Amino acid sequence: MTGRRFLRRMALATVLGLSPVVAWSASCCGGGSSSSLVMPKFSRAMVAASMATEHYDGFWDSDGTYREDPPNSDLNQYRFNLGYAQRLASRWQASVSLPYVWNSNRYSGLDSHTDGLGDAAVGFWYEAFDNIKCVWKVRNWADLEPAIYLGATLTVPTGISPYDDVSNNFDITGRGFYRLDANLLLDKTIYPWNATLALSYGKYLERDVNREYGNYVEPYRKRLGDRRLASASVGYTYFLESMDTLTFTLAYSHLEEAAGRIDGQPDPSTEMLKRAFAATVALATMDRDWVLKGSLSHAIPENGWGKNFPVTNVLSLEVSHVLR
Amino acid sequence: MCCVSRWLALGLILLLTGCQDLTDDLAPSGADKRPAVQAGSSGGRVGQLSPDFTIEDTLYTPHSLYTELTGADAVVLYFTMWCPICDSHSSHLRRYVVPEFPNVRFFLVDYVDDSVAASRAAQMANGYTDFTVLADVDDRLETLYDAAMGTTVVIDSTGIVRMNEDYKNGDKLRQTLESLP
Repeated sequence: MTGRRFLRRMALATVLGLSPVVAWSASCCGGGSSSSLVMPKFSRAMVAASMATEHYDGFWDSDGTYREDPPNSDLNQYRFNLGYAQRLASRWQASVSLPYVWNSNRYSGLDSHTDGLGDAAVGFWYEAFDNIKCVWKVRNWADLEPAIYLGATLTVPTGISPYDDVSNNFDITGRGFYRLDANLLLDKTIYPWNATLALSYGKYLERDVNREYGNYVEPYRKRLGDRRLASASVGYTYFLESMDTLTFTLAYSHLEEAAGRIDGQPDPSTEMLKRAFAATVALATMDRDWVLKGSLSHAIPENGWGKNFPVTNVLSLEVSHVLR
Repeated sequence: MCCVSRWLALGLILLLTGCQDLTDDLAPSGADKRPAVQAGSSGGRVGQLSPDFTIEDTLYTPHSLYTELTGADAVVLYFTMWCPICDSHSSHLRRYVVPEFPNVRFFLVDYVDDSVAASRAAQMANGYTDFTVLADVDDRLETLYDAAMGTTVVIDSTGIVRMNEDYKNGDKLRQTLESLP
């Protein structure tokens, strides 16, 4: 049994997890809780590279019931993400990120290894503040003001999707749809504590489809459902003797997508929900120009923690450098 | 700084231009590119006459296509590998489609498990004991219908393939079954 088509579809399921669930929770001070492509205030640019390994551990069905994968299954995805952020003005910054994806799957004894470019993302952020909002002591109400970021992210379908010509390779690495997200990020640091709240609402753009898994089909119009993401985190920073910092962060995220549309009719098959916890350790240099970060995201393999989505654990390592 | 930006931009361009299939998603086409089917030909595409097949279900009971079509309006094959999307489709099929068409034979086709026993175990673990599951352990049906996960095939009582595509939201399946003679 080749199972090649199944593996392609599984790869599609895996790329659902590519979105930056907690990737852009930032600190305006730099070197804080986490962060990929939201750079600190007063910096000119930032380069970030990360490697993530995602292991699949069963799935939640459409009723939210947890189901294990078949025996002898071992489903993994590895991602290398390269990002660059550039300041455009004192309150504006832009970023671009591009992942490369490797899928390594064994399912019922079948082996498959595929790779390809993932979906790219282009983001713009507006900083609704002029001064750094990190404080050591609360002296007045103004010290409680968080750093507020307003952003927009465009996901560009540069990955290999089910609608491409994928007849010979296990190469699905993207969803095949443009998506525009509106983002709100609140970040507050009162040393040594830090808290963030990130909210995102995304709309996929409708597209034509005339091919599925290499086979041409009767053309139709398709749009995935609106995407909602909420993430909250709390962190604690230790100052080392060298004045480098070590920040421990715990985060909770809630991600869901509504039913899609096919030729204007509801398509519940893509409706999903995923809740996950993440723990992050970030080591930042004294000047906060270099940040090394390790993170573990864990989804609960129990009933009710998700719907119509794989249960995964993600281990990631990221290094970022800020250019002043 | 300037050099870093240039190299990054150059790298991105090389990556993007070097990847095949990229423009299929960046600028999707709505053109109908399905190959023409010769009338009266045999095969698994829409409009073709489906070859007969005999395959065991997960209880080792053999099922032949044309025997199943005797007295039925159609046979529906849904290709599953028991993943989240499969479950979503199968659940929708069971809840909203099967009850509306009592004279249609519905089968799930497990094309990934490599033994009847493994297929039965997956069927039970996923809660589909009310369906007849065909164990496609040698890929015959997958090959015949060029199927992928979620592929739904409708064969009418004369053996003509009426539908062969992803289940999506089930509307196409319902329309196909409603249009049967």
